[in-house]
Amino acid sequence: MSASLHLNLLNDDERVCSSPVRMRVMLPIFAVLTVIGLCVWWSLLAVRLHNAVQVKHLQEARIADLKPSQEQVLSLRAREREARAVLEQLRFYRASRLCFSETLLRLPQHVPEAVQLTDVRIPLPPPLPPPPFSPPGLAVKTVPPGPTNLTEAVTLRVAGRAGSSKPSEAVRALLDAFRLPDFTNLVRAAEIPKGAIRQDTARGAAVRDTILFEITCDCGERRFK
Amino acid sequence: MSDGLFSLKKLTPPIRLMLGATGAALAVALAVAYFGIWPAYQRLKGLRAETEQLDATYSRMQKDIAGIPQQRTQTDAAEAERDAWVRDGVIEPLLGSYAMRGKSLLDPLANASGFAISAVKEDRFIPLQVPTPPPQQLHGRQLIECSGFGSYAQIVAFVQAAEQKFPFAILSGLRIESQSQTPERHKATITFEWPVKGEKRK
Repeated sequence: MSASLHLNLLNDDERVCSSPVRMRVMLPIFAVLTVIGLCVWWSLLAVRLHNAVQVKHLQEARIADLKPSQEQVLSLRAREREARAVLEQLRFYRASRLCFSETLLRLPQHVPEAVQLTDVRIPLPPPLPPPPFSPPGLAVKTVPPGPTNLTEAVTLRVAGRAGSSKPSEAVRALLDAFRLPDFTNLVRAAEIPKGAIRQDTARGAAVRDTILFEITCDCGERRFK
Repeated sequence: MSDGLFSLKKLTPPIRLMLGATGAALAVALAVAYFGIWPAYQRLKGLRAETEQLDATYSRMQKDIAGIPQQRTQTDAAEAERDAWVRDGVIEPLLGSYAMRGKSLLDPLANASGFAISAVKEDRFIPLQVPTPPPQQLHGRQLIECSGFGSYAQIVAFVQAAEQKFPFAILSGLRIESQSQTPERHKATITFEWPVKGEKRK
C-alpha cells in the first residue's frame, strides 16, 4: 500500500478564484458606482431644487403684481360686509317695533261709562344688566358689544276708578274688552294683578262704592332679531 | 483582537485594500445620502407644496379680480340700502343734543294734533343687539322724553302722527295722568326712541 501525499505549495494570496467575477475587484467597483450614482442623483435633485425655487419666485412675483387689485377686492368686500351688518342691526331694531296708537285710539270706545281712567302707562324698557364681573387675577371676559337678550317684554297698565252700583262689573267689562279683536293684535293677555282692586278711601264716605283698579296688559315682546 | 477571526492582520493586502476602498466608498455614499440627497429631497417637497399653495392663491386672486365689477355692484347696492335706512331712520344730534333733534321733529306734529309740549329731554341710550358678524359702526336706541298736556284724543293723535311719520320711531314709554283740576286735559309723558349711531367697535 502506498500512501498518497498531498502537497499545497500555494500561498493564500496566490490562490485565485475560479470564478471570472472576482469579488475583491467587483465590490469596490460597485461601491464606487453607488457613490457616483448617488452624486448624480444629488445633482439632479439640486437642479430640480433650483428650478422649483425659480418657479416659486416667479409665482411670488406674479402674486405681488396682483396684490393691489386683490386689495381692492378685499376692501370692497369689507365695505359690503360692514354695510350689511349695519343693515342687519337696524333691521333688528325695525323688527322690534310695536305700534300703540291704534290700540290707544280704540280704548275710549271700550271704557264703560262707570269707569274713569286715571293713569295709562307703558313702562320704559328695563335697564340693561351690568357687564359680568371678573374677579381680579382671572382673565377678563370679553364683553359683547351689545345686549344679548333678543326680546324685551312690553306692558300696558291702565288704572282708574269705577263707580255706580256695580263697579266690579264695570271693571270686568273693561278687562274683557282687552280680549276683543280690537286689542288682540297688540295685547296678548290682560289681568288684574292681585290686590289691584281696592276701595277708594281717599275721597270720603260719600264715594265708598267707588273702587280703584289696575289692569295689566301683556303686549307681547319686542323681538330684536 | 489580533487573534480574532476577522483580524485585519490575517487578511492579505489586496483584500485589506478592497475592504478599505469599499468601506470608504460606502461611507461617502452614506454621507451624500444623509447630508445631500435627503435634505434636498425634503426641501424640494416643501417647495412643491409652497408652489402648489401659491398656485391656488394665484388662481383665487385671479378669480377675485375677475369678479371686481360684480363685487363693486354688490357693495354699492348694500351701501345704498344702508344709506337709505340711515337717512330715513337714524337721527343725529341737533346742536349737539338729541333732545333738540327730538323737539325739532316732534314739535310740528304736536302743533298739528293740539298736544302742548312743555319739555323735551334726552333720556337713556340703550345699545342695540348686535348681529353676527358685528359691524364696526354700532347703533343704539336713543330715548327722547317729551312731556306736555292735552286731551286723551290729542295725546293719541300726537302718538299716531309720530308713528306714521317716522317709521323708525318707537313709542317706548307712555304715562297719561289725569289732572283733578282739568279733567279733560291730562299730563302726558311720552318717550319715543330712535336709532342713533353708537360707538365704533375696536
